[in-house]
Amino acid sequence: MIAVSTQDLGWKYAGRNNFAIEHVNLEIEENTFTSIVGPNEHGKTTLVSCIKGLIPNSFNGVWRGKVEIFGKDTREISAQTLANEIGFVFADPEAQFTSMTVEEELVFGLENIGLPLNEIKDRLEWVTNITLVSDLLDKPPYEISGGQKQRVAIASVLAMKPRIIILDEPTSMLDPLGKDFIFDILTNLKKEQDLTIIVIEHNIEQVAPLSDQIILMYKGNIAKMAPPATFFEDSEFLYEQGINPPMATTFLDQLKRNKLYDGGLPVNLDDAIRAAESLLKPNGYRKGTS
Amino acid sequence: MTDERLIEVSDLVFSYPDGTLALRNISLDIYANQFIAFIGQNGSGKTTIAKCLNGLLKPNSGYVKIDNLDTREKGATKKIVTKVGYVFQNPDHQLFNNTIYKEIAYGPRNIGLDEKEVDERVREAANVCGVEESIFQEHPFFLTKGLRQRVSIASILAMRPRTIIVDEPTTGQDLRQSFEVMNFLRNLWEKEGHTIIIITHEMPIVAQYTQRVVALAKGNVLLDGTTREVFAQPELLAQTFVKPPQITRLAQALSKYGIPKDILTVQEMYDAFVIAQGKTSS
Amino acid sequence: MFLGAVSLFILVPEINVVLIILILLFLIWAKVDISGLRIYLPLTVTVAIFMFAISTAFPGPKPEYHPFKVLGITFYLEVFYFTFASYWRLMAMLFGTIQYFSTNRERDTLVAIRTLKVPFVVTYFFSLALRSAGMFLEDMHTIREAERARGLDESAMSLSDRAKLYGMYMIPLFTLAIRRTDEISNALYARGYTPSGKIEGGGKRSDYILTQYPIRVVDIVLIVLMIGIFILAGFLQIRYGYFSMEHSPLYQFLLSRFS
Repeated sequence: MIAVSTQDLGWKYAGRNNFAIEHVNLEIEENTFTSIVGPNEHGKTTLVSCIKGLIPNSFNGVWRGKVEIFGKDTREISAQTLANEIGFVFADPEAQFTSMTVEEELVFGLENIGLPLNEIKDRLEWVTNITLVSDLLDKPPYEISGGQKQRVAIASVLAMKPRIIILDEPTSMLDPLGKDFIFDILTNLKKEQDLTIIVIEHNIEQVAPLSDQIILMYKGNIAKMAPPATFFEDSEFLYEQGINPPMATTFLDQLKRNKLYDGGLPVNLDDAIRAAESLLKPNGYRKGTS
Repeated sequence: MTDERLIEVSDLVFSYPDGTLALRNISLDIYANQFIAFIGQNGSGKTTIAKCLNGLLKPNSGYVKIDNLDTREKGATKKIVTKVGYVFQNPDHQLFNNTIYKEIAYGPRNIGLDEKEVDERVREAANVCGVEESIFQEHPFFLTKGLRQRVSIASILAMRPRTIIVDEPTTGQDLRQSFEVMNFLRNLWEKEGHTIIIITHEMPIVAQYTQRVVALAKGNVLLDGTTREVFAQPELLAQTFVKPPQITRLAQALSKYGIPKDILTVQEMYDAFVIAQGKTSS
Repeated sequence: MFLGAVSLFILVPEINVVLIILILLFLIWAKVDISGLRIYLPLTVTVAIFMFAISTAFPGPKPEYHPFKVLGITFYLEVFYFTFASYWRLMAMLFGTIQYFSTNRERDTLVAIRTLKVPFVVTYFFSLALRSAGMFLEDMHTIREAERARGLDESAMSLSDRAKLYGMYMIPLFTLAIRRTDEISNALYARGYTPSGKIEGGGKRSDYILTQYPIRVVDIVLIVLMIGIFILAGFLQIRYGYFSMEHSPLYQFLLSRFS
């Protein structure tokens, strides 16, 4: 089933002359992992905000086209139902944490949607186990790190059991350890939950291996939309649009151009190592040998 | 690297008021015309040591001497600011004047330069940073993030410090913006002769731009050497949860085929690969 | 806290001083760091100087007042003592407030408010205010550091310049606050929060956190005791003037010396 679809979606912020996004058509299958990449201010956040309903709810401007979530037009769904269906995690761990303890933060959304006490208790237990925040429950925000706060943010969104979860640059303000943590959670979520995951990221190296498809937003349009295996072909084009493939992928691409390699382009390090090794082993297959 | 030592750190120990021991007996030297990266996980002390380098934090024991001026001396602040500049990660924390001109002019005016000199410095700094004179009377609040960052750097440059510390210059930025900032910093290093110290988590940036890396872990200096030397030791780096750039890791995984362990760029990898492949086919 | 509130009715300085000592002992027992209270010292001194200066300059002397001279300036015993008594009352109330904030975590305050069944919007507003205050203080700290990095040497500045400094800090603080309000309101929206706090479909809002804090017998006894003492003190003072200045032994002693 199609989880998210947009038809000719466009949005112009009030007070600006140009449309932030225009003529955006896409379809995202349920239970897939989609990453959105591209330079800053080219429409990534605008696109997901339209899907989530933040636009037009909290912003003034001009709307074009349609967004459908599981077949329903988003403008006909209320904010609370939308919060139930689509979770949203922001980039800034500080601004997202609005309560005075972790437990309160997790429970906040659940109270908002009117769940009864025993249900809240169950969900709390479930979500703290998945995101490993059980030892943080009674801590205030100033006693936990940025990475931990982001985990709490993901947990508090997950607790509402949405079918779609959108994360807008979840790791950009974290240190490498924090980044790894978040990508670990995302890997787990992909494997074990029925969730449609959409992530905006600059860290292509870590997000590409997880993705079922990658969308490149450039100047408010979808410049490319493809699964990772084919997305990184034509690195010249990608570079012009302001993104770099993972280094290992670029390396193998360069080998390919120089006719030293003719396999597929891997997007994670292990596959790249294997591909390179196969070319270096003394009795491995190489093009041009007898 | 020249031999002129700009900052001397000796046996530096620092604890925060709440008791956390942040730096344990650190000694290192910063020389003229270097491009250095401080790396390490959050809490390793990299930001703390940087703030000791410009006197923002004063040692509990040991000393930091900038051009032989001890940072704990009375009245040192005004003198240090002309030797070591510190650009904060979020420009909003540093910008507080209502026009760009006044913002850049603040530092020079504060140290008592006459108006003519101040004006000269403002124009010079703005020029180097790509801040056009046409926007001198604009209010910083309404600018784009990139421009605010440049105004922030310009306001530090106007003091003409020989050493400039930049906290996370590329965090949260896209490829193009990161390159712009880093190319700009590289220009300051190569052409204008400054020593640049960046505090960062982004290893590909470190690999591409810096020539010396100081890695910190739990308040100690874990590694201090050229960028190549440091990235060639992934086991040690793992102690502070830092991984070398992906291409370096690829090279290290293939080292048994003769690929060097200190590869920093895709091009180097390619060249080394071709050589290695030549060897195995003979 | 209630010790401080009771001082509202007590004008006998001896009692207020005793209350302050009790509060300090309580703080020590609660393992609060007393040296942290040092920051309030300038405040207490300034208030004292201010109060005494005003009352000396504008005594409004009545014929039955007893004057006395010190260093050539005329003081009036009644006025002086009244200021003295008021000062200690103020200090007792101040210390009560300090004691409250030093020994209570924000969470406890919030739970207390919720127990009173105040509408959710109010408690949430309060909670958000606390959180914002926290972020505000962190920002303040970073901004002060950032300005020092620009060469601002606070210790070398005059008092009036330092006052202007705080005006200057407001600008970055406001910039940050404004940018953050956007982010916070988006975060709230994303969790399904509506400004009215009401639930779609008209259900009742469950309060999960409250279930972790059941009221014990000890709590109820203490609450009754505190309210009781407060009302008693108020009654005695208002109806019988039990705690007014005239009943202060020190005052009587000084009066007898002067007449």
